[in-house]
Amino acid sequence: MEMDRPDGRSPNQLRPLACSRSVLHRAHGSATWAQGETKVLAAVYGPKAGTKKNENPEKASIEIIWKPNTGHIGQADREYEMILKKTFESICIRTIYPNTTTSIVVQVVHDDGALLPCAINAACAALVDAGIPLRHLAVAICCSVTDNNCIILDPSKQEEEKAKAFAYLVFPNTTVSVVPEKSLQAGSDPMAHGIITSVTHGAMSERGRATTQRLSEFLRKNMEPKSTREASKAG
Amino acid sequence: MREIQLQLSQTQKVRLQKALEHLESLSSKVNSDASVTIADSIPVNHEDGVLKGHGTADLEGEVVATLCGVVERVNKLVYVRTLRSRYKPEVGDIVIGRVIEVAQKRWRLDINYSQNAYLMLSAMNMPDGVQRRRTALDELNMRCIFEEADVICAEVRGFQQDGLHLQARSQKYGKLSTGQLITVTPYLVKRQKQHFHHLEQYGIDLIIGCNGFIWVGEHVEVRDDMVEDQVSQSDPQVLIPNKNSVSLEEQEKNYTALETRKHICRAANAVRVLSTLGFIITLEIIKGVIDLSLSMNLDIHDMLGSEFCVLVAEKEAERRSSNKKKR
Repeated sequence: MEMDRPDGRSPNQLRPLACSRSVLHRAHGSATWAQGETKVLAAVYGPKAGTKKNENPEKASIEIIWKPNTGHIGQADREYEMILKKTFESICIRTIYPNTTTSIVVQVVHDDGALLPCAINAACAALVDAGIPLRHLAVAICCSVTDNNCIILDPSKQEEEKAKAFAYLVFPNTTVSVVPEKSLQAGSDPMAHGIITSVTHGAMSERGRATTQRLSEFLRKNMEPKSTREASKAG
Repeated sequence: MREIQLQLSQTQKVRLQKALEHLESLSSKVNSDASVTIADSIPVNHEDGVLKGHGTADLEGEVVATLCGVVERVNKLVYVRTLRSRYKPEVGDIVIGRVIEVAQKRWRLDINYSQNAYLMLSAMNMPDGVQRRRTALDELNMRCIFEEADVICAEVRGFQQDGLHLQARSQKYGKLSTGQLITVTPYLVKRQKQHFHHLEQYGIDLIIGCNGFIWVGEHVEVRDDMVEDQVSQSDPQVLIPNKNSVSLEEQEKNYTALETRKHICRAANAVRVLSTLGFIITLEIIKGVIDLSLSMNLDIHDMLGSEFCVLVAEKEAERRSSNKKKR
């Protein structure tokens, strides 16, 4: 079903992506990630000694601090923190640095829809910049179902508000090409809003997985050339 | 580690681009094949037993990278080395740090690592050079030796239970004064045989710390401990250097000549230019940059301008290509 999106994109088209790493000097790792107008800045500090009281000291613990662009920290922000924590606990190799805490600070610069996936991508790039060993990279996108039952990817804030339901999908990025037959592992935490039937869920995950291939290629391309160039320049 | 913001004109940009491309083409091809990102599998010969080092993980029999970086192989060991990572201290590294806190029987220093390092009072030579047990009086007088915000040169002793420990058991370590501390990214400093350099023609000392802190300062004569002991006969208990009464004669003695100060500034700017361009910092390249600036009769603050940076990049490209031809 053809769909007219306000900014003229096709249903499967993502907004322009932009990513830059090592933006903050004092943080151990940092990255900004922008999808269209939505922009998020993530910084990683760690691993630091000691864990919190309720945490298992035999594993590294991950602490997320979510900072909204305006206003005080509210319930929604705490929810985002929890979701990010679960996601990154499945990605990081927690047995390497036991009894330490790695802090990820996420600052929302501008919110124009698909905020949580943008934050997950930014935090993943920041973890890579900090040199924290990861099992695989995480790529996230947002799919939404509109009023006329059409699935569109990467909605802007306007489209999100009008949508019947939307879901955030996170996929682990293990090999260079995301294999379609690979089943969703524990790493993917779908967070769903609204009414999503099983049919739409299946369609969303397929569409989403295909698009994450593009996202993951972008992420990898972003990381490679810089490192080789610097190594050869330094001599 | 703030870099100088270069305003390059169009021609300067083109020249800089050309020089950097030339450098990249000169570097060995092996490097570009070995760079790897997370979850890439590392090509390894499975028949030989392979030791999986840092940055690798075993995934269904495949050796997979967990970090973004360059694959290094040493005999049977395979590991991934990250490029832009934080400084990782090893035993025996020469580091330069700044005192943050004076604690009980130790000083806490910031050495550009994720934790602070400790310098124990017992891991240092006493100002009078005598080997003795540290008493409570010494502990109370710690502030007379090093205070907050002093710059100290020391050696990494190792990781103890409560953190990273340093030692300064030689006369060449200790407090650094009359000079400049420059921060660069740690990966620009490679471990070498000598980290203490003395440039005789300028009369300055250059200490390249492995943690990315570089000290350029006036030359200080390193006195030998053994000779001192025979000569000095001062009573150990009374040696508290009195900082308040610095007489006029002492101030005159401590005065650094204008020429030396200019050389210190020139060397410091040379290091800053190299860190902006991203070249590895060694004694030869610093000397080369200082000579280049002197031969052009450049003013010290002009060294940080865009024209000089482009010239340094071009000269470095020439030097490396001539080195390669010689080999």
